[in-house]
Amino acid sequence: MYNFGQYIPQKSPVHDLDPRVKIIAVLALSLIILQVGIIGLLEVVTVVLLGARWARIPVLALLKTLRPVLPFFGCLFLLYIFFTPGRPLPLFPIGPVQISYEGLYMGLQQVGKFLLLVASASIFTLTTTPSEITMGLERLLRPLRIVGVSSHDVAMMISLALRFLPTLVDEIKSIREAQLARGANLNAHTLTSKVRTIIYLAGPLSTNILRRCDEIVDAMEARGYQQGSRTYLRELALTRVDGLIIMVLVIAVLFPLVGIP
Amino acid sequence: MIQIHNLTFTYGPDPSPVLKDLNLCIDKGEHVAIIGPNGCGKTTLIRHFNALLRPSSGEVLIDHLSTRDPRNLLEIRRRVGMIFQNPTNQIVGMSVEEDVAFGPGNLGLPADEIRHRVDEALSKVGLSGFQTRSPHTLSGGQKQLLALAGLLAMAPQYIVMDEPTSSLDPVTNENVLALLQELKCQGLGIVQITHNMDEAALADRVLVMNHGEIITDGKPADILSRVDWIKSLGLAPPRITELLWLLHHNGEDVRTNIIGLEGALEEIMRLLIQLRNPNQLGVPGKADGHV
Repeated sequence: MYNFGQYIPQKSPVHDLDPRVKIIAVLALSLIILQVGIIGLLEVVTVVLLGARWARIPVLALLKTLRPVLPFFGCLFLLYIFFTPGRPLPLFPIGPVQISYEGLYMGLQQVGKFLLLVASASIFTLTTTPSEITMGLERLLRPLRIVGVSSHDVAMMISLALRFLPTLVDEIKSIREAQLARGANLNAHTLTSKVRTIIYLAGPLSTNILRRCDEIVDAMEARGYQQGSRTYLRELALTRVDGLIIMVLVIAVLFPLVGIP
Repeated sequence: MIQIHNLTFTYGPDPSPVLKDLNLCIDKGEHVAIIGPNGCGKTTLIRHFNALLRPSSGEVLIDHLSTRDPRNLLEIRRRVGMIFQNPTNQIVGMSVEEDVAFGPGNLGLPADEIRHRVDEALSKVGLSGFQTRSPHTLSGGQKQLLALAGLLAMAPQYIVMDEPTSSLDPVTNENVLALLQELKCQGLGIVQITHNMDEAALADRVLVMNHGEIITDGKPADILSRVDWIKSLGLAPPRITELLWLLHHNGEDVRTNIIGLEGALEEIMRLLIQLRNPNQLGVPGKADGHV
């Protein structure tokens, strides 16, 4: 199906869920994750793992999605353990550096929370196509029309942005090739030459993209696009299972899974 | 009917008009080819047909709906579908079916009607089975077919195209031309800008533009066979017409108002028979000696 994004095309109960339910689930899970303490987190881990199993995503594939964020969270963890005042841990007297018990606790808890947030969002993007995500968002944002925001326009913007991604990649490739063909050295090693190649890329890339935008706007207008109301190929309908899941989620958010903070 | 009365168009503050006082009438079910050198205003003219541009003065009427009235906009754009030169830059959807559904969605049709139209349009252009493919994985020709499907899904009365086949391979090109012919037979009006004179030869009517004016309007055979005049405009006549014209100039007795392969074949066969017959009747011995 789509060659970009993380979506894994396969059949599973989670794949078949209404995208709105999945969006609400991710939001609910995030709220719960931010509320609970370490024991609550273990429960959430179970929920996420169950979700992954239900979606037929191997745990390894789920862990892989965490890899890009690891350096960032690693730094966060270090900040927590070194800069949280409290009782020093007896086992880690590395020179003058002290690690506090509270620091370790806070670090584990916060980093655990962030990793869980990413993991639950990953289950969503692994099981939902970009167009389903757009569609779900569009339906969920419909009430915003009261404050003058058109959900159709938002959805159009998102889907155009997604549609542009492969175009952008192609454009970069062709500019690179054009520059290489004229003897440019793109395998720069020093920082200044690296910056220079980026500048040489940015100029033509932005003019090309703007020209493409002009043409796409014409093509959209020619096909009768107007801001505001429109209809879609697929309409979403909530099933009883969807309704049930939303109810459970709402209850879970209102009464946190466990009483322990 | 597309009616154009005294159309003059000027881009912004530029004092010299791109289109000068044009008058034109195109009927439903007519296939019109517009030819002319680059910068003669062809593209500017056809952009008036679906109100992408509005006249600086004069009037453009699509089935008696004026392009000046914003209330007519959606209906005019439903009636007049437009295909642009670059197939990639007219794709809006994230998948083939969503792209075809864009137009009907703009018309506000219900989902099941959109589904019906999408599948029908895709099968018409031969892209059935590509529904969930990502458009950027299609070839240039397939993208142009996709653009055509997106337009057919809106059930247009006219199809206006800006060099639609310039980026197609010969086989896809044949397919597109055959499809256009079929649509024409169903009563759709087709207006097509082209630099390919063999394509222009297939039209019912050819308009020649130069410097923002329509300088000639008539049957392809009458216009395209004026080889030296066509060349003086910076255009290339059909090769086969040019060949007959050269034969004629070398003193052979052939008609030059032929623009298709079949007509040319007939004419050349006639010439050959004419050449053979006097030989056989006059000096048979000499002819035998050569054979």
